[in-house]
Amino acid sequence: MTEDSTKRITFKVQRYDPEQDSAPHFQEFTVPASRGTTVLEGLIYIKENLDSSLAFRTSCRMGICGSCGMLINNYPHLACHTQIEEFHSDTLTVKSLPNLPIIKDLVPELNPLFENHKSVKPYILRYDEEEMKEPTAEFAQTPQELRSFLQFTYCVKCGICVAACPTAASDKLFLGPQALAQCYRYCADNRDEGEQERFPVADTDHGIWHCHLAGACSEACPKGLDPALAIQLLKRRLVSQAFGLRKKQQPAPLVSPPTETKPKVPFPEFTVKQS
Amino acid sequence: MRNTYLWFLQLVTGVLIAVLLGIHMVIMHLDAILGFFGVDVAEVTSWESMVGRAIQGVWAGLYMALLAVVLYHALKGLRGIILESTPSATTERVVTWVIIAFGIVAFIGGTYVPLRLLAG
Amino acid sequence: MKQIQPRQNYLGPSGWVWAGKYKLERYLYILHRVTGLGILLFLIIHLTMTTVFRIQGQDVWEATIALLRNPWFKIGEYLVCVAFVYHALNGLRLILQELGFTMGRPTPPVYPYKDALRKKRPWTISLVAVIIILALVFFYDFIVGGW
Repeated sequence: MTEDSTKRITFKVQRYDPEQDSAPHFQEFTVPASRGTTVLEGLIYIKENLDSSLAFRTSCRMGICGSCGMLINNYPHLACHTQIEEFHSDTLTVKSLPNLPIIKDLVPELNPLFENHKSVKPYILRYDEEEMKEPTAEFAQTPQELRSFLQFTYCVKCGICVAACPTAASDKLFLGPQALAQCYRYCADNRDEGEQERFPVADTDHGIWHCHLAGACSEACPKGLDPALAIQLLKRRLVSQAFGLRKKQQPAPLVSPPTETKPKVPFPEFTVKQS
Repeated sequence: MRNTYLWFLQLVTGVLIAVLLGIHMVIMHLDAILGFFGVDVAEVTSWESMVGRAIQGVWAGLYMALLAVVLYHALKGLRGIILESTPSATTERVVTWVIIAFGIVAFIGGTYVPLRLLAG
Repeated sequence: MKQIQPRQNYLGPSGWVWAGKYKLERYLYILHRVTGLGILLFLIIHLTMTTVFRIQGQDVWEATIALLRNPWFKIGEYLVCVAFVYHALNGLRLILQELGFTMGRPTPPVYPYKDALRKKRPWTISLVAVIIILALVFFYDFIVGGW
């Protein structure tokens, strides 16, 4: 494929209308594609020209919002991030993300993902209630401290890791790689003191201990987050905690107000004569 | 933290099994290789050889320890696999207790014979 | 308007056994599970043999051993040995990686993304090579030491 030549690609798209269908079925469309055409562009072409009832999520079309997660040729991708040419095939099979319920066609129900995410309390928790309600200053954090968890902050909540995970395939109560990685992201953040509140959520049978390091989540993650690494580091933290080996670490202190203030710049002279 | 301890015990029993079962495998199966090292184990599954080991406290102890760690490791693994099919909370409890009961029965049954043979 | 329920879309246990285009570690996970269950199954038979049949005296014991000289049982025994070798060595890798020892540090992601398991894959491949070598050693001994 080159930029000039256009190929006709067959899209086998999973269709499911909850009001009419009893089960999902496939519908084929022929889509013109050239070098650089993404799967999302193909789907938009279908919706604009062939069948406007096709439902799918899309927003940024540049791999940052996490809306367009789909199973393309049996592997979860972001549709906007995936070029048709990389499959070297004239047929593409597009299905909704597995392990998440289907609302319609290619639209997965992401609420289970969000509920699991909320259950690990994905926000900074401090003992200082006053500061949490009425913040006075920022917390001090060195670049080294940031680097210890920065990789895990790039999550776009697309659900691709959950679709890839073999445990999430059968265990409906499993927290999922996304929630567990975010649990570690907040535990590792030195501004946070809420480790003890998050550990009971993760340290359950259907929590972190059903992760067996298949590594599919990290492989499929479109943002390079490596949730598998986060989960194993969280396991290490839990084991250290269980055996009392954790060193008590001071959380990030508040930045003190500046003691030296620069002299006030004097008001400049008017350039326009005032009458 | 209880699940953390139980999981960590899974790792510890795993290492112990690798050692104890490793010895068992080498003695039972690698007789030709052991022959190279000058260790002659003769027909390990023969009655004489088996009884010869059974009256030694070291071997009886090894087998009983191996049984304990294997039962813990294997049954906890099996329970994990069953629980990953998300049965209901009642089924989870039932499965756990059945597995614990099976483990206890298997341990008692499996140590009774070595102790009987050890005593003579 | 009638409330539409989303359709369940779990892969179920087929999500455990089918690894498709995923990489080595997912296949190792499947094999780890299969070998574990296989050894457990063998264990139940083995326990029965070494308790119920052993306590009944020499005749029953020797009859059982004679039965096990059947080639099919020998192949089964060999498979159990290989399953143990695989499960033990992969288990050691899992112990090291799941406790975070050999996974390296978090690094800011730069495209093309390399996750920790991918960076350590050469070690994992050498481990698989060791497992294959040991399987061949056991095979040699099965052939030489009396088939």
